Amino acid sequence: MKKILALLLAGLMVFALAACGTPAEPAETEETETTEATEATETAASGDTIVIGVYEPLSGDNGAGGKQETLGMQYANSITPTVDINGTTYNVKLEVADNESSNDKAVSAASTLIAKGPSVILGSYGSGVSIAASDTFGAAGIPAIGVTCTNPQVTDGNSHYFRICFLDPFQGTVLANFAKDELGASTVYCLGQLGNDYDQGLINYFKQAAEGLGMTVITDSFPEGNSDFNSYLSNAKNQGAEVIFAPTSISYAQMIVDQAAAQGITMPLLAGDTWDSNVVLAATQGKDVTVYVTTFYAEGGDVDFENGFKDWINGDSTNLANNGGDDMIAAVSVMGYDAYYVALEALKAAGSADPADVLAALPGVTYTGVSGEIAFNDIGDAIRDTAFVKQANTSDNVWDFVKVQSVAE
Amino acid sequence: MGKKLTARKAPEQKIGSLVAILCIIALYIFLFCLDNVLPASNGNVQMLITVLKKGAIYALVCVSMNLLNGFTGLFSLGQAGFMLIGAYAYAIFAIPADQHSAVYQYFDGGAIQFSIPEVLGNVLGKNGGAFLGALICIIIAGCVAAIFAALIGIPVLRLKSDYLAIATLGFAEIIRAVFQWNGLGKITNGSNLLRKYTNFNDIQIQVGGTIFKLGTIFPFFIATLSILIIVLLVTSSYGRAFKSIRDDEVAAEAMGVNLFKHKMLSFVISSFFAGVGGALLAMFQTTVQAAPFRSSMTYEILLMVVIGGIGSITGSVIASFLYISASEWWLRFLDSGGVTLFHTHFNIPFFRDGFRKVVFSVVIMVIVLFFSRGIMGDKELSFAGMIRRLRGKKAVPAAEGEEDAQ
Repeated sequence: MKKILALLLAGLMVFALAACGTPAEPAETEETETTEATEATETAASGDTIVIGVYEPLSGDNGAGGKQETLGMQYANSITPTVDINGTTYNVKLEVADNESSNDKAVSAASTLIAKGPSVILGSYGSGVSIAASDTFGAAGIPAIGVTCTNPQVTDGNSHYFRICFLDPFQGTVLANFAKDELGASTVYCLGQLGNDYDQGLINYFKQAAEGLGMTVITDSFPEGNSDFNSYLSNAKNQGAEVIFAPTSISYAQMIVDQAAAQGITMPLLAGDTWDSNVVLAATQGKDVTVYVTTFYAEGGDVDFENGFKDWINGDSTNLANNGGDDMIAAVSVMGYDAYYVALEALKAAGSADPADVLAALPGVTYTGVSGEIAFNDIGDAIRDTAFVKQANTSDNVWDFVKVQSVAE
Repeated sequence: MGKKLTARKAPEQKIGSLVAILCIIALYIFLFCLDNVLPASNGNVQMLITVLKKGAIYALVCVSMNLLNGFTGLFSLGQAGFMLIGAYAYAIFAIPADQHSAVYQYFDGGAIQFSIPEVLGNVLGKNGGAFLGALICIIIAGCVAAIFAALIGIPVLRLKSDYLAIATLGFAEIIRAVFQWNGLGKITNGSNLLRKYTNFNDIQIQVGGTIFKLGTIFPFFIATLSILIIVLLVTSSYGRAFKSIRDDEVAAEAMGVNLFKHKMLSFVISSFFAGVGGALLAMFQTTVQAAPFRSSMTYEILLMVVIGGIGSITGSVIASFLYISASEWWLRFLDSGGVTLFHTHFNIPFFRDGFRKVVFSVVIMVIVLFFSRGIMGDKELSFAGMIRRLRGKKAVPAAEGEEDAQ
């Protein structure tokens, strides 16, 4: 028995070795049946293929968001699977590596991508993993384009990380202005996860801005893995808060919404881009809660894109599952879609697939995407001065557009 | 690594130790080539470097855990906590002064305004400062972890078996929460990452006009040295006392072994090397955050120790390299939608994100269920034993295990 098992295990290892011993072969990533049919005929030699690395969390706390962001890139790749550089047409292949939402897995996931020889990297959802992998990409000389990582530290102090979304200082200020101007709040209760740099960072900027506007801010943190938010919500109520600001990850968002509804808390729940998810929206259905989010994109911005994306999602059960079971468009998918085209623009501008050329060309790249104009400033951040505010419609399972909020300078 | 031999010098052992030393030299030459000669653009070289670095770090941490769990019989689950302390202690003292305002962006640049590698760099030059500074910071990391261990050990080591495991596990969780607390933010940076400190890429030497990278050799150097110290300890009279405590506390006490003193010694030394391992992990990751040092990290290490064999140093080393390679490299293809074998691509519907973890869990379960003594049991891999076996002298039962020969 033991011998058979030992043989089986050894066999598995050999099999694994054999499978990764041939990384140069064109291994298909997750593509739809339809694109495979058209592409299979022209299986190009490796010289004609340009690899774009996709560095996203596909499991862990941020798995849901990372999958949706990846879907945007895969959709873009299915529409535009080639790029013309100096008159030569290259196939573009997406190579995905899962960073498991964890900083200690970030370096090896990044190395896995670098091993595939990418010209440029897209990602990640979640700033912590992006910062953790930044030095690895930098040492390999490969430029990276952050898609929805909003922490300033991602692009700060390096020359190889760029990003196409707005930043937390901006988002925090937008949220604080919204809380004051639209919700008329004077006391805000902020709740974030202890040990999560996204939550704590955004709360920090919100607090700065809110106190500047004359509001009272109470901050509180819950430990990782917490599932009972009743005491925090009661605390908010007792301290006379008029708005709860809880920019947590999606898994906690569901629980907060559920328990707020159960406690009969009617004060508005305010959150950042993480809550803009169909999973959170589904949690609000049929409940007496008011949820506002700031985000990168509002539905109805580009109808052609939305219809195409929905058809693509519905055409494949894997995509549908990765999108959370329905065809609602997440803002992160839109950002992923735009990021792919920014990468193509950079490749065209570079005139070659060499990462060094792409890196040199990236600062000058401009692109008008579904989410708006994209251009980079000196630090490598996108120049963006607007965010969309949306409210959860608790009966129709849609996000209602509230307003475009920008910061008064 | 870890093939240091005992005093009994049979001819096989002399040859064996010679072979072991030659192997280590060959390994170091190979690592040097890996960093400097082989093309970094090659995907397999890139992955090999990553896996080797992380494997060496985990080998050290596993051996340190084995010292406690395998050799002293103290079932402690605080390893991740001590690694966390080590990682933070290292990072805090190695962040360059001009980076403090960027790193501690929410805490006004932090409380500690100097960096040991930088201070030394002013005297010894950049490369020398990075090397020696990193070394000193690693030792500080180990010492801080050891001090914490000594403090925790006083109440905790009076507990036995399961209760000790619970207490140390609790300690690790508490220490994580403490490091994330904003009140200590000026030192620990709260929930945010520490970064920009000296990492493996900064370790290099300049000979003439050429720069040689030592990024892969460095973790191996520290790990080899640390494991060597642990091996020497285990084979010394202290080691024999540890083993007697493991086998029978009452008998050990009757023989005059001071239980508390020896348990404390083992606990503190194990934590010291866990702290060193944490510092190396911080260098490897290039960023530190308290969140990943959760109990699952301890279980991962415990798993490697069990797979390698509780009470076998070479087993721990082999298992950690195998485990890291499998989880970070070899099994990744399970996530990629299919396999390419002999230039043909097969699409396999199961092979999508997350499947790697399923397969990995099953493999581990099989190992734990059917190979409960691990790869090596409590034996050691030794060249002397191999030579003996090759010569056909398999009579001596202790042939394979010098360390456990008594």
